[in-house]
Amino acid sequence: MDKIEAKDLNAWYDGNHVVKNVSLRIKSNQITAVIGPSGCGKSTLIRCFNRMHELIPGAKVSGKVLLDGEDIYDDSVDPVDIRRKIGMVFQKPNPFPTMSIFDNVAIGLKLNGVKDKKKIREMVERSLKMVALWDQVKDRLNDSGASLSGGQQQRLCIARALAVEPEVLLLDEPCSALDPNATSKIEELIVKLKENYTIVIVTHNMQQAARISDFTAFMYLGELIEYGETSRIFKQPEKELTEKYITGRFG
Amino acid sequence: MVRLLDLGIEKLNNMILDMAELSTKAVTTAIQAYTEGKDVRKEIFEWSEKLRFIQDEVSELAVELIARYQPVASDLRFIKSSMEITYGLSRFGRYAYDITTVLSMFGDLSKCDHSTIIKMADKVKVMICKSIEAFIKRDVELARTLSNMDDEVDNMYKEYVKRIIENKESNLRCSVSATLILRYLERIADHANSIGDKVIYIITGESVPRK
Ligand SMILES: Nc1ncnc2c1ncn2[C@@H]1O[C@H](COP(=O)(O)OP(=O)(O)O)[C@@H](O)[C@H]1O
Ligand SMILES: [Mg+2]
Repeated sequence: MDKIEAKDLNAWYDGNHVVKNVSLRIKSNQITAVIGPSGCGKSTLIRCFNRMHELIPGAKVSGKVLLDGEDIYDDSVDPVDIRRKIGMVFQKPNPFPTMSIFDNVAIGLKLNGVKDKKKIREMVERSLKMVALWDQVKDRLNDSGASLSGGQQQRLCIARALAVEPEVLLLDEPCSALDPNATSKIEELIVKLKENYTIVIVTHNMQQAARISDFTAFMYLGELIEYGETSRIFKQPEKELTEKYITGRFG
Repeated sequence: MVRLLDLGIEKLNNMILDMAELSTKAVTTAIQAYTEGKDVRKEIFEWSEKLRFIQDEVSELAVELIARYQPVASDLRFIKSSMEITYGLSRFGRYAYDITTVLSMFGDLSKCDHSTIIKMADKVKVMICKSIEAFIKRDVELARTLSNMDDEVDNMYKEYVKRIIENKESNLRCSVSATLILRYLERIADHANSIGDKVIYIITGESVPRK
């Protein structure tokens, strides 16, 4: 089943056309990796999936993005609601440094108007358990988020995204600031999360895409060059450009 | 820009070419010696061992390249196929040796009619050359011609066995020894054919279904 469908999606920054006529279907409960050289539009593409792109001054979007068949760019849709359903985690772990570990996870719930303290506690615990951080932090929930290691901070950010019960998780190079050990832990977590979430991950690490994703999209200069099952893309890409990029014969 | 992986791939390629040359020589020499009644067991055995040795080196290097560089796409297909192709080439050597042992088992066969063997050996030698040429030139069309030739060799073998069953070959020593040789040749043809399949796989990614 398709969770997200992009149809003729285009994106601009001040007239600079950076995502060009992209159409693709993201499958439910699967991990889709977006790969391609730096600057090819990967981050912009996934930011169009939860209406984050339009927050940048001068940014423009055209085309459609359907979530469960409904166009998220329809006038009747509240973008805040979309961003709750489609959560995002960024490249650098970005816990709010002045906030406690607890509040770092609870913040999304509070911003979404959840007031019930008991419910908030439950959701924070549940989210921290999902990212396998609970046992390590349960006795120091009031410590600053910045006191955690890089890998733990990234898991904290994933917990924050999960706390508001999204349906889709967009991960933009979530491991690029992490060491190999923390990276494999995050990868294991991502694979586990696909049971309950649809995941789109931007990565510049092709081996990471090969290890964890079910589908791979390869972008180049704003265009979607090839999209298909990861097992095929890495054994037998159809397009010459894909072959060149994934074998490191680019440029 | 030369990729680090390219150095390894070039090394694999060169080892395959070395094996191709030696295995061709082994088969040609074994057949020639057979028809001339010459004993070349020792020589061919050494070549066959050398082929096995290089084949092991190819496997080692292929696994190392996979571990070090995590190759994908055509690189991965080449590396996987290098192991399979060198297996085929080392079998050429092994069957060449088997051919030389027939003479020592059966003794003097100079009175036997070798015409079927010579005919089939010529075809098999062409197949070996074509499989190697297809590999060197990465020529899919040439590789595809091997399948028909393999069928022809299979049929020649089956027909000869049928003749024996129908008692059309009177001399038992001649017919049994010839059957063995033809069987070895038929196996060689089979491996030449599958080398062709690997060449097709390297280039197109398409796996040719086994017969
Ligand atoms: N906030 C921005 N303002 C203006 N241009 C931007 C902005 N973010 C990205 N771009 C430009 O858009 C293009 C695509 O960027 P991005 O989507 O970040 O690529 P990727 O994630 O593949 O590295 C690049 O040329 C980049 O310079
Ligand atoms: Mg990016």
